[in-house]
Parts: sequence; structure tokens; C-alpha cells
Amino acid sequence: MKTIPAASADQSTGRQYWRSLDQLAETPEFREYLHREFPEGASELDDPVTRRHFVKIMSASFALAGVGLGATGCRKPEEKVMPFGKASEDYVHGVPQYFATAMPTRVGAVPLIAKSNDGRPTKLEGNPLFPGGNGATDRYTQAAILNLYDPDRATTFHKAGATVSRETALGGLADLAKKFSANQGEGLALLGERKISPSRHRLHKIISEKLPKAKWYLYEAIDSNIHAVAATQAFGKGVRPLFRFDAAKAILSLDCDFIGGEDDAHNSIHGFSSGRNVEQGMNRLYAVESLFSLTGVNADHRLRTAASAVINVAAAIAKELGVDIGSVSTSGVDARWVTECAKDLKARGKEALVVAGLRQPLAVHLLAHAINAKLESIGTTVELREENISRSIGSIADLAGSLNKGEVDTLVLVGVNPVYDAPSDLNWAATQKKAKSGVVRLGYYAQDETGAVSDWHFPFAHFLESWGDALTTDGTYVPIQPLIAPLFGAINDLEFLARLGGLDVVDSLAIVRETFAGFSRGGDLAWKRFLHDGFLPGSTAKPESVRFESSALSRALAEIKSPAAASASNLEVVLHRDYSLDDGRYANNGWLQEFPDPVTKITWDNVILVSRKTARELNVKNGDIVTVTANGQSVDGAIWTQPGMADFSLGIALGYGRQKVGRVGQGVGFNAYPLRTTTSGFISTGATIKPTGKTHVIACTQDHWSMEGRPIVREANFDQYQKNHEIVETMDAAKPPVEQSLYPNPLDEAKKGALHQWGMAIDLSSCVGCGTCILACQSENNIPIVGKDQVKRGRELHWLRIDRYFSSKNRKFGLETYKPEEAQQFEEWIDDVQAVNQPMLCQHCESAPCESVCPVNATVHDHEGLNVMAYNRCVGTRYCSNNCPYKVRRFNYLDFNKRPLSALKGPLYPTPLLNRTKGEWDLLRWWKNPESGMREDDEWDLIKMVKNPDVTVRMRGVMEKCTYCTQRIEGAKIAQKVKAKDSGDVRVPDGTFTTACAQACPAGAIVFGDISDPNSRVSKLKANHRNYSVLEFLLTKPRTTYLARLRNPNPAMPDFTEAPWSSQEFDLKNHHGSHDSHDDATDAKKGAH
Amino acid sequence: MSATAPDLKVPMPPPELERIPLVQNNRSFGWITDRVVAVTEGKAPLWWWAAFIPSATLMSILGAMLLYQISTGVGVWGNHHPTMWGWDIINFVWWIGIGHAGTLISAILFLLRQRWRTAVNRAAEAMTIFAVMCAGIFPAMHVGRVWYDWFLFPIPTANALWPQFRSPLMWDVFAVSTYFTVSVLFWYVGLVPDLAIMRDRAKTKIRQFLYGLFALGWTGSNRHWSNYEKAYLILAGLSTPLVLSVHSIVSLDFAVSQLPGWHTTIFPPYFVAGAVFSGFGMVLTLLIPLRTMCKLEDIITMRHIDVMCKVTLATGCIVSYAYVMEFVIAWYSGAAMERFHFMNRALGPMWWGWVMMMSCNMLVPQLFWFKKVRHNLIFVWILSILVNIGMWFERFVIVVVGLYREFLPSNWGYFKPTWVDIMTYLGTFGLFFTMFLLFMRFLPMIAISEVKGVTPQSDPHHPLAGGNGNGGKH
Repeated sequence: MKTIPAASADQSTGRQYWRSLDQLAETPEFREYLHREFPEGASELDDPVTRRHFVKIMSASFALAGVGLGATGCRKPEEKVMPFGKASEDYVHGVPQYFATAMPTRVGAVPLIAKSNDGRPTKLEGNPLFPGGNGATDRYTQAAILNLYDPDRATTFHKAGATVSRETALGGLADLAKKFSANQGEGLALLGERKISPSRHRLHKIISEKLPKAKWYLYEAIDSNIHAVAATQAFGKGVRPLFRFDAAKAILSLDCDFIGGEDDAHNSIHGFSSGRNVEQGMNRLYAVESLFSLTGVNADHRLRTAASAVINVAAAIAKELGVDIGSVSTSGVDARWVTECAKDLKARGKEALVVAGLRQPLAVHLLAHAINAKLESIGTTVELREENISRSIGSIADLAGSLNKGEVDTLVLVGVNPVYDAPSDLNWAATQKKAKSGVVRLGYYAQDETGAVSDWHFPFAHFLESWGDALTTDGTYVPIQPLIAPLFGAINDLEFLARLGGLDVVDSLAIVRETFAGFSRGGDLAWKRFLHDGFLPGSTAKPESVRFESSALSRALAEIKSPAAASASNLEVVLHRDYSLDDGRYANNGWLQEFPDPVTKITWDNVILVSRKTARELNVKNGDIVTVTANGQSVDGAIWTQPGMADFSLGIALGYGRQKVGRVGQGVGFNAYPLRTTTSGFISTGATIKPTGKTHVIACTQDHWSMEGRPIVREANFDQYQKNHEIVETMDAAKPPVEQSLYPNPLDEAKKGALHQWGMAIDLSSCVGCGTCILACQSENNIPIVGKDQVKRGRELHWLRIDRYFSSKNRKFGLETYKPEEAQQFEEWIDDVQAVNQPMLCQHCESAPCESVCPVNATVHDHEGLNVMAYNRCVGTRYCSNNCPYKVRRFNYLDFNKRPLSALKGPLYPTPLLNRTKGEWDLLRWWKNPESGMREDDEWDLIKMVKNPDVTVRMRGVMEKCTYCTQRIEGAKIAQKVKAKDSGDVRVPDGTFTTACAQACPAGAIVFGDISDPNSRVSKLKANHRNYSVLEFLLTKPRTTYLARLRNPNPAMPDFTEAPWSSQEFDLKNHHGSHDSHDDATDAKKGAH
Repeated sequence: MSATAPDLKVPMPPPELERIPLVQNNRSFGWITDRVVAVTEGKAPLWWWAAFIPSATLMSILGAMLLYQISTGVGVWGNHHPTMWGWDIINFVWWIGIGHAGTLISAILFLLRQRWRTAVNRAAEAMTIFAVMCAGIFPAMHVGRVWYDWFLFPIPTANALWPQFRSPLMWDVFAVSTYFTVSVLFWYVGLVPDLAIMRDRAKTKIRQFLYGLFALGWTGSNRHWSNYEKAYLILAGLSTPLVLSVHSIVSLDFAVSQLPGWHTTIFPPYFVAGAVFSGFGMVLTLLIPLRTMCKLEDIITMRHIDVMCKVTLATGCIVSYAYVMEFVIAWYSGAAMERFHFMNRALGPMWWGWVMMMSCNMLVPQLFWFKKVRHNLIFVWILSILVNIGMWFERFVIVVVGLYREFLPSNWGYFKPTWVDIMTYLGTFGLFFTMFLLFMRFLPMIAISEVKGVTPQSDPHHPLAGGNGNGGKH
């Protein structure tokens, strides 16, 4: 790793000077002194003992290693630790650098641009150059950076639970390689996770050739591969579908949560939102589902039905369209809904799209393909790309069979965590022990469920630490290039497999370059361009032209045994992918743990979602812990009544209840994996629940479900809006008073001298509520997590939240409005609801109520219209928050940055006056270093590295809030000034930069820019008829405005209503009031003249 | 002379019309001095220790709670998003309100020549000062960074950063600090003649020195009395607007904001009336046991109690009127948020706060219409405590109920205090009672010289005064 500078050649000539007698005598002490002296710390790099020190110097040293490479990559194969004096010209200390890379997912990869501050990656953004992308990402990508700096990740190599040196461990791997080279891999079983990596596939092939007797297995707890399996069966060729939501004008989702729980959701959202453009004709979404998913939230028509009955609905629609559905029953299905939906799909023909969800059995997928084929939409809205489903890869059940038969000598686990998430009937923890020579595991957490019981454990490198490659869902070849050397000497899967296979080339960069050579003949230049662009142009897979073969469908339908309809005695369990933790892999990621579920708004927990009717019939209520029994297994979880849930369905998120993972995720929620067996899939019927008499505290960030008829989120139907563009304006509950101020607003004067006026517009029609913006904001603005107990107390620090309201056509506004929030779960109107989302952040009011009440001038307005916070000046009276009608100000109650989660649990919080951290009195630690807090050093060192250096890390007792990413605004202004030189062209052009939330939004719903420029995108949006301000009557004049949400229902559908339900609620509540106030306002205007 | 003048028989007024004397049983000057000063001389009675030890304990708990809060963060309290103010501001307003009776009694009643005030003004003023001390703790400590409290004061610094004079919290700083300063001065000026009495009676060197020091060389000369009377009158004049201003400004903390239930012009008078209401409640709560314990029934007479009950009744009615009027305004304005707020006050999840407020502040004082009630000490004492409970709930309703459900339903929450909130509040009682008990042990709790001034014998026309009055037959 390090190179000690060679001794100067001049030394032997001329006079010799010596610094000390030691030097003259060349004593060993002096040699050691020289060695230690320069470069400082470099000699400690190899020493595993001083890992902490290693981490400290890492950021500085690799910043230098990366410099000068510019577009070609961030790291040379060989690093040299150089003093700053030798830094290359284009490196400017403090100015971040950006590198193209990608985050691998189980269906492909998310192409990224990663920001690196002095050698440490701090923020991930989508690659805007990527064809078809909009520079957006998803929740997991935004949070992935936190995993890199997870203090609980595997930091050392383990053998039989004891730490061994990296060399020993790699030696152990070499021994294994030798052993299996000798016997062609006899007894070697490899279990990996799904990776769409050409290099990985190539390695697999090479190693398979070398070790033909080695067995390969693949396991994903939540596997989207059913899409490829179904398509392959349906079209008789190895293909994988790519759904073109942007091309679809009518979409039917058969329990397919493509906006939320399906893989690659950000691409689906991007497509869906662009097809939903109000000005260019909106698409229409039909959803058939049991859980109220994000897709259901965004649906124009939603059929609430048990997940196990989705097949009946799918069959009924298929039947309407002339597909032979065999003997599948369609009784009990809403006939009119089905008929009209089918009619609409048929009318859209090629522009219709039917998708089935990964939870659903194969038959539903085949039905969807059959309908698509009937509608002739294959090729327009469904593109099929080549996919080679390898027959040589076995499933985890096959592996369990081999293990049980004693055929496995060494079990190698690459990344997977089967002890936690394998189907319960495999009894994995015991089965795994049957590998004769033990289990070797490459994993991100050494002390997780599987890692703790493995014989060998190798730390798995984060994707930002190691070279790799991937194919995105559309088949484009993308590089995964590291931004930092492995923090703890971790190795990635490529290197691990290469070493295990005993290959000559074990360096992951070399492996990837070799793979790249198979894609491009361009040599070094092409490679550099590949790394610079972040993808290989022209590598996108071409759509296959195939024909639907109905035989697979008939076969699948023949196997279908229609289960009895769900009822109180025959509950169905629907296991689903969690919106934050995925399959559990993000359990130790605090940002994701604290991310409120987009629909339930629950943090730090999974729950058993039930409908009101289910809860009533089973006599349970929110927070009751019940035992769910399905497939002969039981788990205990807490009940949560979810509006819009199908009756007698129990929705349970997977990924929680990790017993071993780290300080963040340990014991959060309950583990639902035991309910799943090899054959049950995600939907099981015949479940029962039994109350335990215990209750569980659930931390939900939004207690109230209804908008109470207030025009906060304004909605209209597309047709209504087409007839009357003023409809959004008529929803003002009260007109703002005519401004008659004694004093002119100083901002009006200041505006004249300002170059820009910043503003934001959020299109609620585009926003799907996925929540990527929340995590982007958290990552950009150094927002700490606060832990479950504090969330329960309403103290989460998210600067941006997404308000979610439910509305119903059955709502009445009597005394129930005033009931406590606990009563909502028993009210009948929640059975069938529509939901709306609204990102809520600082509105940057021109007449900001927060500013006038701050006694110390800590929150003031700048001339460009920003409501700015001076954290240094804030004393924390919290009056600003009280006076903020949007309640978007957040208060750091307990030094959330400096306290670990364990010190954030009430009611008795540890005080520095008495507490000890690592045996040392906190007050003394504070005296020595005021930054120390209550975190242990290893935790602190890593957590610090994820912080954005451009944003203050706020201390306790200080109010904080959205700044419109003021650091980005200033950065853009400075850059423009530098660029302008003497030309005076210092006005930042529109589109040069945007806020973190806007940049991450896959729907492009958030638009930020200069509202003084009439041609900016934000100005144009604000000129739209749908534009309105929330609580306009308060005359706060917010700079953040919203574009009303439009729904596009089908008038022929049974659930069609003239106006969205929230508008009906508004009319019901304000029918008389609105007329009165309108008249009042008119009078007031007259009076003013 | 044999021709005696005709015996002019002046008809005496019927006994029921005769004014009840302010000091009963024709007590002499000497008796008054002895009786009042006796409380501070000699060994402390057992009941004093029985009250002092728990109070001092509670006061130390207050110290511990504040230390805990400052070292750990405001998070130890129950306030949260959206209810960013909780017991801190409730208690601040409550204590400040209590602090109103003293100055009202000493200043306004002085200017209005209400002679009955003399028996209670000293204790009431002391109560004011201690209550304002308790109140002051909350705004000072409730902020996130206590060590930067000085940002709130207009200190010229090199940064040229000034406080924000548009903020009502800023006005609070001035209003409360001025009120406290003037109250202390007023109290102290009134104490000077009595301190001289204490000095003259002191038996130990230390007492002689300290009382002597603070008596400022008072000899009781005419010139002293003349200057004293002028100073007292000026301070009374200064204090009078403060009685009205402090709570008006505290009310602006709410009225200047734009929250439904807070943003209302009725607040300043309503808060002042509420403050006097609660202040008299507290004076009654304190003095009823004290007059018995210290055997001061002849000085703090039933007439005093009766008058204070009437003041409580009057201010209680003003407050009740405001309570009703708030609802009327909300209905009449047609403002949807305003209407919702008041409906939610009465029917929402925290309805019990409103019920407590209405019953204690609106219904309870109505009992004071009855003379029998006003003359039943135990009854009056219980009712006076209920008044203070009701006034605490009034602030609870304003602060918490005003915040927990407002414009955007997504923010609606529910407020629960923590044990630290509760212990801090109880701790301020410790501070208050400790201070009060020390006060009564070391300072005359009745204005001796003033009380003497309202006895019959100091009336030159009174027969006992030895003047040539015409009531010699008595």
C-alpha cells in the first residue's frame, strides 16, 4: 500500500551532513525514526491493530490517491501516499469531485454520480447522462451511503469466531482453492445472491469450467425473478419483461406495487409520471390489491380484494378480453368493475399495460401476459429482453437437500443471510451445519445471524469500495467504480470468487477490465470513457420479438386450486417487501429505519396491517400484540388498522426482527420470515390470529388520517379540470385578506437589488409519495436520526416530510372530528379511501411568521427570498415553530448527533453529569473534547465521515429546517461568478443545479429555480392554473407552491365520482362557509378601494 | 358655669352601619408591633420547620431538575413537535399571573386609598417577588441553549447583533425584568420603617447590624416620613401601569402569533383580569393559614378575607366573560380554523383541560356571592386553591390545546408531560415556599407602620386617639 521514498542518489557524493550521532552511526533507532517520520502514519496502514487510526487517515490519503485521474476513475490500481505538496494541479482542497459509478441491485443496477469530498463519498445522485434516466434514484440508493460508514459492519476477518489477519484469511481461502482444484470442486457448494454482473457471470463460468463438480445455488428472499420466469414460460424463450410505463395510457396492476415494493421502482415511477403528464393527456391506473400500496395510493381506480383472490379478478378481466381461462372461478368478483376496466384496456389497445406483482403466483403473471398479448401491447408497453435463466443454478431448497444428504463438504455463502431469511421449513441454521468442512461466508455484517455461525467470515466490500460492473434493467452495461479504498480491507465478491476458484487474476479491477474487453474493443480510451460516462453507450439490450404461447397459461391455470374466500376464520397472510428495509438488508441503516413508511407513516417497526372490519371481527385494536399462525408457524406482531386494506388480509412486512445485525437494527419489529415456507410464497391462506394480551408501542409520524375537509391537498378530476381550469382556485376556503400593512415588506425593496428569487413548485399530480426526497434531504443536510422513542415523542428531525391524508366519500363532519386519533381506527369511512401525498418542507414564506417572533434574529430573510436560519444565533425558544402554520421547523431536543440510540430512550435519559462512555466520565470527555458526545470513538469516527462538509452539523437546542439547499445555491452562484469572469454574467442559468430533493425525485415532481426568471421551469409551473399555496389565507406568501393533483377516473366505472373524494369532503365541510367567506372577501376588497 | 350647655345628643348610627374597624379588638400600637415582630423573634415554631424542610427539599429537586435539563437537553421535558411549548410556558404564565396580586394591592389599591390593603400588602408583595422569581426560571431555562440567554438582552457587541425588537419574547424580557425590579424596590421602600423597628428591637449584634444596614438609618423623623411618603407614592405610580403591562405583554406572546385560539385581541385585558384573579387566589391560599398560625386574626380580619373574596369574584367574572366571548367571536368571525379550535377545546381529546378551566374559574368563584361562603375560612381556602388550579388549566388550554391541533392535520399530536416537567413545577413550589418561609421568619410580614396608621387610635378624631373628638361617650 505504501511506498517509502527511495534514498536519494546524491548521498554518496559531496559532503555528508548528519543530524545526530545516531544518524552517523546508523543505529536501528534512527532507522526506525526515519521510517516513522515520513510520511506520517503511512507505516500504520498495514497494522490491523490501529484500525481506528487507519480510518482517520484514510480520507486524507485516498483523496490524494484519487487526484489527477479526473475522468478516468478515482483510484489507480496502486495507491501512493503523498504529501499535499505533490497534489496535482486540478485538485482543489474542499471542492468535491464527482465520479460515475452504479449501485448493484438484484435486478440490475442504478447508475450513479457519486460525490466525493476529500476522498470520502458523501452523496449519491442518479446519473443524468444515462439514457432514459432523469438523474433520479430510489430510497435505497440515497441511504446506501450510510451503510458504507456503518460502525457495525464487518471490519475484520474471522475464523471460528476469532479475528485473524487479512493474510491468514486470504491464505485460508487459497487453501480452499487448492483443495478444490485438486478434486474439481467436489463437495463445494456456493450460495449467492442475485447479481446482474457480467463479470460475476464470467467468473461463474470460468470457475465452473475449472471446478465442474462445484454446485452453484442462488437465493433471494424477495426475488423479482418471477417476472423473467413467467415471461420465459409465456413466450417460450429466455426473456425478461421491461414494462414501459411511459408508453402506457391505461395500466392495470394485479397486486403489482411497481411504484413502491417492486424492484427498480424509480424507473417505473419515472415512466409512470411522464405518462401522467396533465398537459399531454393523463394515463389511467387501475389497481387490484389487498394491501394499500403506493401503487394503490396513486391508482385512479382501486379494487380492494384479497391477495389470494387477485387471480380471480385477473381471470375475469382476461375472460372479458377473450382469453381462455379454463376453469378458474370468477364468482365474487365485482362484474361491472371488471367489465368496464376490460373495456377501457381494450380501447387503449397497444397503449394498455397489465402487470402482475412479484407476490402473485405464476398463473397471474401468465394471465397478465395473455392479456397484454391480446391487447397487442407486447412490444409497445411490454418489451422483452433476452435473459438466460441458467438451469445450472439451483435453489436454496436444492441446496438444503444436498446438505441433508451430506453431499456438501464446504458451503460458501456469498452475501446471503439464509439463517435469517431462508424459508422456515428448511430449518436453515441446523441444515447449514451439515456442511462437513464448515461454512465460509462473505458478508457485510460479521455478527449477523449467518455470520455469527459461519466458520470463516470475510468482510464484504461496499460497492463504493470496490470494482464491479452490472447490467441495468434495460441491459445497459455500467461500471461500478470505487470512490474509496476498502475501509477495513474488505474484499468484494469478484475477488472472493476468483480467489476461491484459484484463478490467476484476483484483482477485481483486472477482472472487470477483462469483462469490459468483451464488450468493447476500444481499449484504454473506451475504458476511460466508460468510467467517465458511467455506462457503455449502445450496450442496451435489443427487445426480442416473440409470440405469446398459451400452453404455459393453460398448464398453470390447470394447477390452480382456488382457495376458499378469505374470512375471519380463514385469514390470508400477505408478506411484502418493506418500503425501507427491503428484505432486511438495510436493517442497520438508521436513515431507512427512521424513514416513515409512505402509506402507514410508521417508523422503526413492522406491523400486522388489517382492515377495520377485520380488526372488529377479530376484536383487536392498534398496538395489540397477536400471534399469527400460518403454514404451521407462529410469529407475534402488533396490529395496525390500515385504511383501504382488504378485509381478512394480514399484511406483514418482511425484513424486521433481526436478532443480530448491529446497534441500529437489533430487535426492531418482528421477523415474519418464519411464516414463509419453500412452497407458500408470499401469500398464505388459512392463517389465524390469537391476541396475546400484550401491547406494543408504535411510532407513527402522522397520527391524524383525514384532511378534515381543508383544502390542503387540492384535487380535481381530469375532466373537471379540462372543463374548468379555475377549479383549483375555487377551493380557497377563505380568501386571503387584502394586504393593508402599515409597513412595506422589506423583502419587496430587497428584491430589486437581487439577481435571483428562489422558489419551488411541487406537482402533486406527479408526486407518488415514494419518499426518496426525504432520504436525499437527510443525506445532503446531515440530518441525524433520533430513534424510535423520540419519533414516538414527535421529535423526528426530517426537514422534509410527506403528509399523507385519506379521504372518503362516506365521510361526515360531525363530532367525530374532535375525537382522539385512536378512535379513527374504528370509523367506517376508512374502509374505502383515496389517499393523497404532499411533500411538506419549509415554504420560505415571504412574510414568514417565524421570523417576526424570534427574539434573537436567528431566522431572517435574505434578499433572494430565502428564509435562512443562523444556527449559531439560535437560542431555542421554539416560538418560530409554534408560529409556523406548516410546522416544518424541527428542534434538536437531545443532541441527536452526539448521542447513540441507546442514549435517546426516555423517560430517563443519561446525563453527561453522571454517564460514562467507555469507562470515562462524559463531563471529563466533554471538557477534553467538546465534540465527543456519548458515542464511542469507533462509531463517531465513521459517522463523521458521512457528513456533508458544506452543511453545518447542528448541536442540540437549535431549531433547524429546510434551507432550499442553500449550500447548493451558494455553490452555483460562486461557480457562475468564476465562470463569468469579467463578463458580468453572474446570474445562474435555470437548470444548473437543484435541491437534493428535486434531484432525487424519480417523478420529477419537485422543481426548484429562480422565479424572477419568467422562463425558468419553476416560473412556468407557478403560472399553471393548478398552482396554489397552502393556507394562502394566512397571507404568508409561501415561495413553495403546489400544483393540484388530478385524478383520471373512468366515468363508466362503478366507483366513479364526479370529483375526487377529498374535494367532496371539502364541499361537504365548506359548502356554506365558502360562499360566505367569498362574499366577505369581495366586501373587503370593495372596502379597501 | 352652672348653666350647662344643653347635652347635645348626637345620634349614633345603628350598629349594622358602623364600619368594621381594620384592626379588631382595639389593639394598641405596642401590641401590633409585638405581635408582628414576634413571628421573627424567638425560636422558630415546629410548624415552621415542618413547612420549611419539605419546601427546601423541593427546592433542591428544582435545582437537580434544572441541572438535568441544562446538561441533557430540553428533550427531558415533554414538549415536542407540534407542541413546542408545554409546562414551561404554562408555569411561566401561571407564576407571573400569581405575581400580580402583590403589586395590585400595593400600588393600585394604595392610589385608590383602599386602607384595608395595609394588612396584606407586605406579604402579597413578597409573594409577588417570589412568584416572579419562579416565573423567571421558566423562560430562562426553557430555551435550547441556556448559556446563550444573554442573546436576548440588548448588549452592544462587536458583531452589531441586536435582539429582534419585533418579537413578543423580547418584550417579555423587558416587561418581566422591569416588573421584578420595580416590585423589589417598592417592597423594599415599604420595608424601611419596619426594618428600623426590627433594628431597634434586635438583641444580637448580627441582627442589629443587618437590620441597621437595610434600615438605611431610619429615625422616624418628619423629614424621613415626608420623603418616604413621596417615594412610596412615586413607586406606586410607577408600579400601577406595570401591573397592567406585564400580563398584557405576556398575553402578546400568544396574541401576536397567528394560531387559532392565540391570535386574538381580547387577550391583554383578559390576561390581566386572570392574573389578578389568580393572584388573589394565591394571597388567600397563603394568608388564611398564616393568620391562624401567627395569631394575626386581629390584623388580617374577616373583613380582609371578605374583600379579597369579592375581588376574586369580580375578576373571575371578567375572566368568565372572556371565556364565553372567545367562543362567540369564533362563531361570529366565521373563520373556520378559529371555529375548529374552540370546538376542539371543548370536545377534542383534551376536553378535560377545558372542563377544569371552566369549572374552577367560572363556576367556583360564583360561590363568593354568598356571604356565608366568604366567611367560612376553610371553604374560602379550598376555593382559593381551586382558583389557582383553574388558572393553571387556563394556561394549559391556551398553550397546549392551542398547539396540538391546528392548521395541517398531519401535524396533529398529543401532549404528555414527563416526570421532569412535573418535578420542575413542584420544585418551583419548593423555591416559592422556601423563600416565603424565610421571609416571614426574618422580615415583618405585616406593614407595621402602615397598619398602625389605620387603627382607630391613629385617627385624630377617634376618642382613643386622645384628640378632642366628639365621640367621647364611647
